[in-house]
Amino acid sequence: MGKIQKKGEKGAAKAYVTRSAAVKKLQCSLADFRRLCILKGIFPREPRHKKRANKGSTAPTTFYYAKDIAYIAHEPVLRKLREHKAFAKKLSRALGRGEWSSAKSLEDHKPTYTLDHVIKERYPTFIDALRDIDDALCLITLFASLPSDSRVSPALIESCYRLSSEWQLYVMHTRSLRKVFLSIKGVYYQAEVMGETVTWLVPYMFTQQIPTDVDTRVMLTFLELYQTLLGFVFFKLYSDAGLVYPPPLDLSKDEGAAGVGAFSLLETKEEEKADEANAPSTKKQVEVEGKVIKGKDVRKTIKELANLALPPQEATSAREISAETSTLESTIGEEFVVQPSSNASGAAASLPTLHTLSTLPAAPTTLFAPYTIWLTIGTPRPLLEFAIRAFGGRVGWPETMGSGSPITEDDESITHVIIDRPLPANLAPEQVELRRRRKYVQPQWVVDCINAGKLIIEGPYAQGATLPPHLSPFGELEGAYMPAVGEESADAEMEAAEDEESEDEEVAEGEEEAVAADADAEMVAEPATASALEAAAKAPSDPALLRAAELEAERAGLDSAAFEEKLKKAVKKAKKSGTAVVKEKKEADEAAAEGEMNKMMMSNKQRKLYERMKYSERKRTDERKAIEVKKELIRKEEKKKARKSAAGGK
Amino acid sequence: MPAAASKDRKKRKLQVDNVSDVEEDLGQLGLDMASEDEQEGSADEQESSDGEEDVFPELKSESDTDDTSEAEDDDEDSEEEKEGEDDEEDEDDEDEEDEDERPFANAADDATLRRGLAPHAKTVISDITGAPKRVFPPIEPDYDSDSSTEETPNRVGNVPMHWYDDLPHVGYDIDGKKVLRPAKGDELDKFLSTVEDPSAWTSGFDKNLQADSQLTPEELDLIRRLHAAEIPDAEYDPYEPTIEWFTGKGKEEIMPLSAKPEPKRRWVPSKWEKQKVMKIVRAIRQGRIIPNKPKTTKPQFYALWATPSSDHPPPLPAPKPRLPTNAESYNPPAEYLPTPEEKAQWEEAEKEDRERDFLPQKYSSLRLVPGYQNFIQERFSRLLDLYLAPRIQRKRLNIDPDSLIPSLPSPQSLKPFPIFEAHRYEGTHRARCVSASPDGAWVVSGDEDGVVRVWETAVGREAMRWKFESKIGSVAWCPRTDVSFIAVGVDEAIHIVVPPYLSPSLLSATLSLLNPTNLPPPSTSATTLKWTSPMSYSPESTTPITTIILPPSSGLPKQLAFHRRGDYLSSVGSTDGQGAIWIHQISKRHSQSPFKKIKGSVQRVLFHPVKPHFFVATQRYVRIYDLAAQKLLKTLLPGIRWISSLDVHPSGDHLIVGGYDRKLCWFDLELSDKPYKVMRYHSRAIRSLHFHPTYPLFASSSDDGTIQVFHARVYNDLLTDPLIVPLKVLRGHHIKEGLGVLEIKWCTNQPWLVSAGSDGSLRVWCN
Repeated sequence: MGKIQKKGEKGAAKAYVTRSAAVKKLQCSLADFRRLCILKGIFPREPRHKKRANKGSTAPTTFYYAKDIAYIAHEPVLRKLREHKAFAKKLSRALGRGEWSSAKSLEDHKPTYTLDHVIKERYPTFIDALRDIDDALCLITLFASLPSDSRVSPALIESCYRLSSEWQLYVMHTRSLRKVFLSIKGVYYQAEVMGETVTWLVPYMFTQQIPTDVDTRVMLTFLELYQTLLGFVFFKLYSDAGLVYPPPLDLSKDEGAAGVGAFSLLETKEEEKADEANAPSTKKQVEVEGKVIKGKDVRKTIKELANLALPPQEATSAREISAETSTLESTIGEEFVVQPSSNASGAAASLPTLHTLSTLPAAPTTLFAPYTIWLTIGTPRPLLEFAIRAFGGRVGWPETMGSGSPITEDDESITHVIIDRPLPANLAPEQVELRRRRKYVQPQWVVDCINAGKLIIEGPYAQGATLPPHLSPFGELEGAYMPAVGEESADAEMEAAEDEESEDEEVAEGEEEAVAADADAEMVAEPATASALEAAAKAPSDPALLRAAELEAERAGLDSAAFEEKLKKAVKKAKKSGTAVVKEKKEADEAAAEGEMNKMMMSNKQRKLYERMKYSERKRTDERKAIEVKKELIRKEEKKKARKSAAGGK
Repeated sequence: MPAAASKDRKKRKLQVDNVSDVEEDLGQLGLDMASEDEQEGSADEQESSDGEEDVFPELKSESDTDDTSEAEDDDEDSEEEKEGEDDEEDEDDEDEEDEDERPFANAADDATLRRGLAPHAKTVISDITGAPKRVFPPIEPDYDSDSSTEETPNRVGNVPMHWYDDLPHVGYDIDGKKVLRPAKGDELDKFLSTVEDPSAWTSGFDKNLQADSQLTPEELDLIRRLHAAEIPDAEYDPYEPTIEWFTGKGKEEIMPLSAKPEPKRRWVPSKWEKQKVMKIVRAIRQGRIIPNKPKTTKPQFYALWATPSSDHPPPLPAPKPRLPTNAESYNPPAEYLPTPEEKAQWEEAEKEDRERDFLPQKYSSLRLVPGYQNFIQERFSRLLDLYLAPRIQRKRLNIDPDSLIPSLPSPQSLKPFPIFEAHRYEGTHRARCVSASPDGAWVVSGDEDGVVRVWETAVGREAMRWKFESKIGSVAWCPRTDVSFIAVGVDEAIHIVVPPYLSPSLLSATLSLLNPTNLPPPSTSATTLKWTSPMSYSPESTTPITTIILPPSSGLPKQLAFHRRGDYLSSVGSTDGQGAIWIHQISKRHSQSPFKKIKGSVQRVLFHPVKPHFFVATQRYVRIYDLAAQKLLKTLLPGIRWISSLDVHPSGDHLIVGGYDRKLCWFDLELSDKPYKVMRYHSRAIRSLHFHPTYPLFASSSDDGTIQVFHARVYNDLLTDPLIVPLKVLRGHHIKEGLGVLEIKWCTNQPWLVSAGSDGSLRVWCN
């Protein structure tokens, strides 16, 4: 017989630890533990059997993997946090004793930590990091728009602003913006960077205050992590694009609220030249300008760089990467020839080669390239400037919206003017002249053009016009209601036809009926009467329904003879359709009953799964139906209104 | 003028009256706070308050005279200012005040005193009121002038003062004259004195005099010093100049204290210190230590991913939030906008219950879009999700839910099975039991009124009826074809009756079996069970041909089960215990109880169709016994809380068990003790189950009033699982008193079903 297994020494009891146990093990405060969890990306786990994991207790607790906690226990950041605690004690003691010099020297050797290794651990490859920058961008853009206060320092906000500008610059430079969505929460952007879709949300430009129920400490910890992450990601992106990171900021332009225009993108080569001019002696290794870089050289350089203990200089690494891309480009020319295998005679799988991929229809990134667009006051400049420039357009704006506009308002090349003002009643003659040469559109036009991937006719977006609905470019959930915008015109035509028909019918009926009724009144009453009549016809034996129909008819102003006649007709019609309906219904019922009976043979698990799926399906269809009903109502109302206005016109 | 002041004056007058040369003794001054003494002197107070009334008017007249004398025809309104001045004077020196006041108080009495002692007062113009006033020069605090030197008049000593409680005096002076008790004001006076007399708070209750006396400045100073934790003695100087005895010029010690020579370390610089310093100096010279080194500025960002990563697996990437849909647009199509009801519903709902965290809104233009209120909260909640929410990887099943329903052959292809109700018999009492004849042409049924009917299956015509005295628990038609009889279980007896319309040969065979001419000898075993037959039996009579009288208190036989050969009949009593199961042998007119002891209460029994096995269903388990070997073969665990019914497949390899908890278990006896399939499709308890003897059908009836018909095909090879297909739900029986269809039976040669319901009806279901 084997050894008797003690309780709580194996399995879930050992694999999970509660939060308080974890804090105790790490010997740090709860706040420090939270900070570590955020930085290291450790999150609680849900054990399958809480009772087993919690040593028989069912009290509500949070569980972590014991291995995760053991992993944090060796974290350099934790050590630094402990050192910081000791430092804080020493400093406060020095200050309390009035030992200013020792306090200063302590302050000089304040323990700080870096998160480089954390980023490397959490994102072993660059693509992993790129895949996860959505939240980082959202938070950075949020903090870039916040006012500074005691909790949020101005330096932090400036750094966030800088990072968000760098991202925008990169997206504009590489033309990787794909979709823009103006929602009530803010503006969603979607870019495609190195094959990864990155979506981020930017709030509208309003001053926001951090609410009291929000824990700023948590947000700042996340921000710390995200700043580091984005710094490294941008460094890699910039150097891959052959740009210098960080892009230099022109302070005078920034003072003038030039926005992203205050940064200038430098090619790495320019930077290198500048470096050489400035400090040629610091460079240990000077590449010969104009020499053709070969793969061998590159490899040699890499080896040398690897031997160096220090991280590679920005310029050299950038150069090396650009060299790599050049070698890559040279390989594009080579065709990938599929060697037909002898044993698999069938379809040899045709792999997508670099050549075929490069010839794929790319997204239209130069949508606004031929146009020069002028922004007027009242339009959101950061949004429009970013969106238009990301699609190759030229943008200008008046001096009051910030400096750095490349054109002035009287520039001849301006083709579009974005304006978000109601149309004035009488335009000045020079305005009319301007309007002949330039298109005046509302901001939604730009966004809709981007989402459509083509230029849309400006007519519906003209100044003061009622805008067509702005739909999400990200699509709807599966099975949800989809508004048909493209078929709007077709719909309208159909509607018009329907209207005419119904009107004709009504007119004919009206003539038949001896009662002279006002056309409007009858039209309103007709559907109600009809519905009551139909109900009565379907169940001719039901006196209550019949009575209801009669009442309806009376209200509509029908006399009894006319009502009788109508009722007879309706009954006949109902009978005709009734037999077919009954037959169909019977068959459907039988099929449904069979299905119901087969459900008996499902296992319990399957049945539950089935019920769940059915429930969600039903919910979706219900939602869709509710919206469709609403749409129908709106359409009817509009129709009525249109008719009324037409009648009024007559 | 305040009454208190005048009162004070009066007190002093009293004191002065009694003044005599008494030595002052501070230690004997029994100071007490007035509040402490309140309880002690409550009797005094009452007394004094009684005496107060006649004193008061006196006081008033006195004070009037005082005013005139003091204020020298001043107006009433200037009095307050004067009072203020008085206060100032009080603060300056209290001693003077006493002196000052006394003359006014006792203007008449002390006229001589004043003439002799009081210095001349100067008359000056007050710079506040502008009126002339008299100013006295400060008094030299010498022996005569100090009031504190006045002796206490009471020489009674340190005796408890309550001895004088009932007396008008409080003691005796040095001359042996009585010292009268000073007048004491009521509570209002006390209060007024505390409010109006600025020095009231510096006075204490003198026990010896039984009156409030003012503390002297020395006493007050002492109190202040004690309160401030200073040295109480004002005279003591803690900072006296030190007197140097040993230091200073000419006072040095010349002789050394020890004879040791002075050590070298006192005058040679340290070698080790020098070495340490030199080490640092050398390091600085060589550049190993750079003092005030500027911080190395490593680039903040570098090519992080240029080096290979460790092989530690990265944490699971967080799921991305859902992308916004049309409803979130600032200008959505009008149909997305919520109706007022939806809006109200959204606002009413808890934050967690809302389907989406915003209400769709429509703005005609971008400039009208306001800032989003919950932006930071939503971002924060996302962050919380990122580090506080447990993450589980779930596989989403992307399948059509209808593909989960097992595909079974269509019931249409599995005909025949009963689909409609052919005819019914409506009785008034609950029909409990039903049984079909071996050829299927006749059906016997029993109800709770005690009536047993035999009727034709095809048309429902009643052929015969027996009436018993109590309700019928069960009926069973003997499966034999060479004889024909029916067993009927009533209270504590089993009656055997012969059905009508038998062929003569069959009738004679039956009669000879059931009523043999030579009865076998009664069993020797001492059972209380008895087989009886009437002496003369005619087939036309409605009396039973044979009766088995069960032992008393065995209850109603709730089930009768025939062995397939028809010779053995098993009965299950409604009471628990040993006598619950009996096996009766018809041919030998012999009964036995096969089990000495039975665990649990027996619900059902059954004979195996081919083997000498016997099934016994107790409340939870089904046990299979070998009757030949007399041992337990197997215990089946259906997992049903309370078994209601069971039936065995004609092949004998499969068993179905139904329970009151709506479950139906199919057992493959070759396979396992656990059910092969558990189904739960009835909405109420299952009452009865029956396999069709020839067709591959079985049916179950339930308290929900329905009968479910199944196709149950069993394959001979051991590999293929039995095929169970639900065929038809037969509805028609009504639920009465919570009971539905109580028993069902198949007709042997037809796919017809006979059912007995609690609504009293008996129905035949045909294909």
